[in-house]
Amino acid sequence: MSKAKDKQQEQVLVRYGISRRERQQFLASMMSPEGKPEVLSDILVLDASQANFSGIIAASFFAEFGAEVIKIEPPEGDPARRMTPYGAKANGVGIPFLMEARNKKYLELDLETAAGRKDFNKLAAKADVIIETYPAGQTDNWGIGYRQLSQANPGLIYIAITPYGQYTDRAKEFRNMPDSDITSQAASGLAANIGDPDLSPEPYNWPFRAGAWIGWYTSGLEAALGGAIALTYKANTGEGQMIDVATADAYASLVGYPVFIGYTWEKARPRLGRHDFTLYPYGFWRSKDGIVAIAAPRDHDFRALLKILKLWKIEDDWRFTFDRITDILEQIEKLYGLIEAETVKYTSDELIKKALEYSIKAARSKWRGGGVPIIMKVPTPSEAMQNPHWKIRNSFQEIEDKKLGKFIIPTNFIKMSESPPRVKWISCGIGQDNRYIRQKYLCD
Amino acid sequence: MAGKTEDYFSYTKKLFDPSRINEKPEVFKGIKVLDFSHVIFGPVAARILAQYGAEVFKIEMPFVGDLWRFGVYWGKFWKHSSVCFHFVHYNKYFLSINLKSAKAKELIYKLAEQADVVVENFAAGTAEAWGVGYSQLSRVNPKIIYLSCATYGQYGPLRFFPGWDLLAQAASGAISLTGYPGTDKYYKLPDYLGDYFPGNVGALSLVMALYHRKKTGKGQYIDLAQSEALMRILPNFTYFSITNQELERVGNTDPTMAPSGIFKSRDGKFVAMAAATDEQLRALFSAMGQKKLMAEYKDSFDRLHPRNARELHRIAEEWVSKKDSIEIVNLAKEYGFPVAEVMDDFQLANDEWRRQRGSVIAFNDDMYRKFVLPGPSAMLSRTPGRVKWLSRPLGYHNRYILKTFFKLSEEEIKKLEKERVVGYWDDRPGIKPPVYYDIEKDPIFNYQVDGRGQTK
Repeated sequence: MSKAKDKQQEQVLVRYGISRRERQQFLASMMSPEGKPEVLSDILVLDASQANFSGIIAASFFAEFGAEVIKIEPPEGDPARRMTPYGAKANGVGIPFLMEARNKKYLELDLETAAGRKDFNKLAAKADVIIETYPAGQTDNWGIGYRQLSQANPGLIYIAITPYGQYTDRAKEFRNMPDSDITSQAASGLAANIGDPDLSPEPYNWPFRAGAWIGWYTSGLEAALGGAIALTYKANTGEGQMIDVATADAYASLVGYPVFIGYTWEKARPRLGRHDFTLYPYGFWRSKDGIVAIAAPRDHDFRALLKILKLWKIEDDWRFTFDRITDILEQIEKLYGLIEAETVKYTSDELIKKALEYSIKAARSKWRGGGVPIIMKVPTPSEAMQNPHWKIRNSFQEIEDKKLGKFIIPTNFIKMSESPPRVKWISCGIGQDNRYIRQKYLCD
Repeated sequence: MAGKTEDYFSYTKKLFDPSRINEKPEVFKGIKVLDFSHVIFGPVAARILAQYGAEVFKIEMPFVGDLWRFGVYWGKFWKHSSVCFHFVHYNKYFLSINLKSAKAKELIYKLAEQADVVVENFAAGTAEAWGVGYSQLSRVNPKIIYLSCATYGQYGPLRFFPGWDLLAQAASGAISLTGYPGTDKYYKLPDYLGDYFPGNVGALSLVMALYHRKKTGKGQYIDLAQSEALMRILPNFTYFSITNQELERVGNTDPTMAPSGIFKSRDGKFVAMAAATDEQLRALFSAMGQKKLMAEYKDSFDRLHPRNARELHRIAEEWVSKKDSIEIVNLAKEYGFPVAEVMDDFQLANDEWRRQRGSVIAFNDDMYRKFVLPGPSAMLSRTPGRVKWLSRPLGYHNRYILKTFFKLSEEEIKKLEKERVVGYWDDRPGIKPPVYYDIEKDPIFNYQVDGRGQTK
């Protein structure tokens, strides 16, 4: 049986003229960005975002796919340069800004002045995409909004990112409120669903902020995705359009849960702490040496977990998915306790080994449905980074810069065989490309 | 300046008018997508193309169906369906066909010949073993764009490891970032964000690949690893490489802004507040009536130092606790610093602003009737995304696709049914139609080529 399968797989690989062992290397070289064309090599993007990372992140995605991205800043620089964890910086630049300074060019241009707006107008006539995060209507007042720019450049794609968007009464009412990640998380249903259950002591039962810029990254990604879709339409018809991203929507629109649960259940979900509301077991448990994440939610996965933890005696009570619904907290805490009583007896490595051995055995046995319980140590990011897997996949890139020093950024997050995104350089001096940009775009 | 006469907001209202979305063109009209994927990660990428006009054929095993058809919150099915499934599968065609049979494979290859995009998210190598991998389908159609989604990607030593969103969060390190430092309180990112975010990244890669194909005529293979997509959004690696310190759980605050946090107001509501820039901090201090404090905290890097950030957090917390949430929101509007009340599920579903904007849509479906689901957060003025129908029972579009696309006759389809090459639902909720719905009279399910019942 397995021999036949091997043969089948070999046949598949014959096409490439390689053996199974070489397949890995083949895929790695297939996905390498070296010498490959860039998707957006003929696209010019202006990023005029101010104190808002959604715009910077959206611009990064365009830049990674090869667009010429010009970051436009006033002489003192974008305040986003100074948003950084605990004030950590490299050569005066904050870490998030540094990390997103991918393949970009920097132009000093003060849009508050008439001269700056005149230059911006000239640039905009040649641009394919503009990204801005000013209060709704601000650029329109200045005469450099979508309404005016699209007359000279009908193919322009104009992305505006604000907390509450460009239309509706609320957008008008809240137009002067600036954006931040934490308010985006709060307004879009993320914070409300993190935290301990109601009866826990304060402040643990409060809504909680996710420990990464989820609000800003989802807004930035959605903006880039919308921009890419608009670029496709432009390639088809030559027509541009305006894109309106509201960061107060970002998370709810991405995952959907808050909205359709709010509708079908007609009330808000309570916070469940370490439990999930659909799958169980699916979360954190203590082991002898730290926290482990366990995912064994399907019935056969759960049975397997019980076997490796020597807990088969409780199988009868918790057999089906519907025995393990987390709506009654007392009940599920009981199961949590039963599992925890076993997991604390082992170190995390022992648990991982047990789960792996079981999975491999189950996969090889004739009796399918053996289940795949997955146990994993909860790593810190720097521990996660150490895995050789990421080295083989080039998931991180070491950057060495005279001014900025040596550091690591996560890259190559999409592997594509023909036109992969890539990071060519990191740079972030204010106005460092003034001359180049003025010569190329502002001479006439 | 031209157009200056009209108020900006009435201009944008006309530009984005949600009631006119269905009159506007669709970007991906005519693009065909073969969607072998299941659960959330892959299906979301395919659905985004469907949202913007692509024809997506969702392929499932007869009588089994996608696992996520049963992925219901707290065991609650809604009209015999999973609401979570509706959200990741709207606008798709549901073809239930047994990939293990040779006849089905023949049909699938025929479909692949004309398809533009294929999406799968099995464990690495599974699709190849089933004969629908990139190496096989690209032979049938060299211009095909093939997206393989997996937790760890298609190559590298971890590739065979199975994954859930939880494991992707763990493998990327994202899982250890949310929680209270110095306690054993860890929270994962909720709502399967570890699937949805990479799924949207997958959609981005597909749009880019389609764009590239338009320019050069070349298809390609895309290997998307869920964990890598999550790593892309973490500043922690860069932080670690520069400071040599771990940036771990930070509590209920944003370490990049001071003050920032989620606070409790006098009326017991939760308010998120931050001051990201000097200007915003000045505005906040003015609203507090403590302008003098600005001199103390004027250095924007220095005030992020934990010692100063803690003090600012305390000042903000105390101020919020003495005010009602509505007062704070009004002050923020007036002075200009970011504030938002924490919105829960029920508030979001019923928010007037979102309904007006079209980011929450009350959709009227032929089968499931009224359903409220989120629209996109990026509104496109000329080619907006839209919802056309919700997900459908297992094999609902079998007849429609077999007759319109493969031009099979009723007899041939009956034969395929008898051989169990194609199939439908059984009695389990999640895969069958709602109880009130008369499926026998459904014009799509009982599709007739002669035009009878072509109501849609």
